[in-house]
Amino acid sequence: MAEVKLVNIKKVYPHSEEKKKSKKKDAPQKKTNLQITAEGVVAVQEFNLDIANKEFIVLVGPSGCGKSTTLRMVAGLEEISGGELYIDGELMNAVAPKDRDIAMVFQNYALYPHMSVYDNMAFSLKLKHLPKAEIDQKVREAAEILDITEYLNRKPKALSGGQRQRVAIGRAIVRAPKVMLMDEPLSNLDAKLRNEMRAEIIKLRERIDTTFIYVTHDQTEAMTLGDRIVVMKDGYIQQIGTPQEVFNHPANLFVAGFIGMPVMNFFDAELIREGDRFFVEPDGHRVELSEEKAARLKANGVQSQAVTLGVRPDHTDLTEEGISCKVDVTELMGASAHLHANVDGRDMILIVSTQDTKKIPMRGDEIHFSFDGDVAHVFSKEDEHNLEW
Amino acid sequence: MNKHMSQNTKGMIQLFILRFFAYAILIFLCILCLFFFYLMVVNSTRSNAQLARGFSLLPKEHFLENLVNAWNDASINIPRGMLNSLIIALSTAVLTTYFSALTAYGIHVYDFKFKKLAFTFIMAVMMIPAQVSALGFVQMMNKLHLNNSFIPLIIPGIAAPVVFFYMKQYMESVLPLEIIDAARVDGSNEFHTFNTIVLPILKPAIAVQMIFSFVSSWNNYFIPALLLDKAELKTVPIMIAQLRSADYSKFDMGKVYMFILLSILPVMITYIILSKSIIRGVTAGSVKG
Repeated sequence: MAEVKLVNIKKVYPHSEEKKKSKKKDAPQKKTNLQITAEGVVAVQEFNLDIANKEFIVLVGPSGCGKSTTLRMVAGLEEISGGELYIDGELMNAVAPKDRDIAMVFQNYALYPHMSVYDNMAFSLKLKHLPKAEIDQKVREAAEILDITEYLNRKPKALSGGQRQRVAIGRAIVRAPKVMLMDEPLSNLDAKLRNEMRAEIIKLRERIDTTFIYVTHDQTEAMTLGDRIVVMKDGYIQQIGTPQEVFNHPANLFVAGFIGMPVMNFFDAELIREGDRFFVEPDGHRVELSEEKAARLKANGVQSQAVTLGVRPDHTDLTEEGISCKVDVTELMGASAHLHANVDGRDMILIVSTQDTKKIPMRGDEIHFSFDGDVAHVFSKEDEHNLEW
Repeated sequence: MNKHMSQNTKGMIQLFILRFFAYAILIFLCILCLFFFYLMVVNSTRSNAQLARGFSLLPKEHFLENLVNAWNDASINIPRGMLNSLIIALSTAVLTTYFSALTAYGIHVYDFKFKKLAFTFIMAVMMIPAQVSALGFVQMMNKLHLNNSFIPLIIPGIAAPVVFFYMKQYMESVLPLEIIDAARVDGSNEFHTFNTIVLPILKPAIAVQMIFSFVSSWNNYFIPALLLDKAELKTVPIMIAQLRSADYSKFDMGKVYMFILLSILPVMITYIILSKSIIRGVTAGSVKG
């Protein structure tokens, strides 16, 4: 139970000797868009975040965005190149991991293979020299919570993936840490088990009641688990907000495309301002933006311009007239159907309800669709930020 | 149907012939390996007179007599020699494996400047044969008055590049860094992590290297022969060499064979105890488990 404060955190991986040499010969090959400076590769920068006591924070982003690096810096497993990290008001930059009173769950479980489940969970308590009876009680309590009591005497290799992950979580919770760090704990599990464990983590959170920092690249996990989510890309924070805020008001094109399943549809469109009213016009079809949106655009002094328009697949409706396109693929999902189509060279998906639609359009059918003015997002063509922001 | 059957029998016969040859070759190789051990055991049961008469495949009844004679020989103190060899070989085996694993751990887990250089340097040391540095080493030990002591036979064994390399490779296949991170977060300091988490994971590799270093130290003749000249410090290989240079006409050959049998006994025992680990260690990492 603790507040965690990250102030202007930065992580730079210095160039190794070889890289310096090779850099002179030819330009470095970029894997991601991380900044490469004279100091080295910048993995994380300008990371500012205040995490409240008992808050569940999810760091989410594509691989290589610096989310795990940030978590490892909080854990003390990675040196902080710049900025300050406070846990409960205390500066932690130079404190060893063992003295930070944190616990961490790793993606590949990282159980000690030669120890039984019991010993795995008791390891940290033994290091604290707690009395045996107390250790036993704590381990059994945690095992009870995670439903692994019957496996306490087994070795990790005799357990399934889901059970191993439970043990890994158990090992973290026996210590009642100030901050619980989880590094993609569910990504090694199969889809069904992942759903189950996600629910378990939500339940677990109610029981153990501590501050969580959770890293994932899976936006479903981010949306369902987090009190607030932090979307990252290329070492920068893109947006911090509650899952609903991020979903409804994405700060930029990246966040809009990253959060939400299936991904948001983007069109090239014109934003037209007529006095206090705003319209978007993709493909010659004009839709007026809601008053709320218009007010925000007006406050930002936005004028008529070419924009990237974003509309979520579930916010589109089939209409008599509107933007026209041809269906490429129809995926029947039961309650709904996903129509894949192409508008002006951009692929897009429409979700229609199979209940309400009389005839589901199939491959080759010509359709028209539209959307409401309160679900359209307009992004600057220049720097891709949301013009409402 | 009939055609099918005949094809099937044909295949069976081919397989049989193939297996027959494979087993025949394996049995032949087995005999080739074990025959000399057998001969040595048989010879240790024959008296000097019987040995002088020639070659025999059948054991005789002088085993105990040879054992008592060899054990109580006045000129060569077998029990003492075995004890010396055991002390040296055991300490070398333990220290070599522990410190090589520790070095490999350092290189594997930590990132530091000149890490690659350190690795290359250790590998380069591997290329220098003991004979090249032996003269300088013996001179140095004499200057330090460490001749006629076990220290120069035990301590330098700690720096064993081959063992280090093996441990490093083994770690790469079985030791994910997350386990170490997990231990750190759990509150374990670096040495504690190494001793309680890493060493048990490395057990198969350690067993293998322990046997190898035990055997090579037990059989080592070159350096001990240069450093040890006091009778009570001599090791088994030196004593065997002495036997060979002794006067055959006066010497009891039964005793000699018994001595040789005794000298390979500890090696065989260690092998039998640790052989399971050897097989596991040699194949480890081939299949991710």
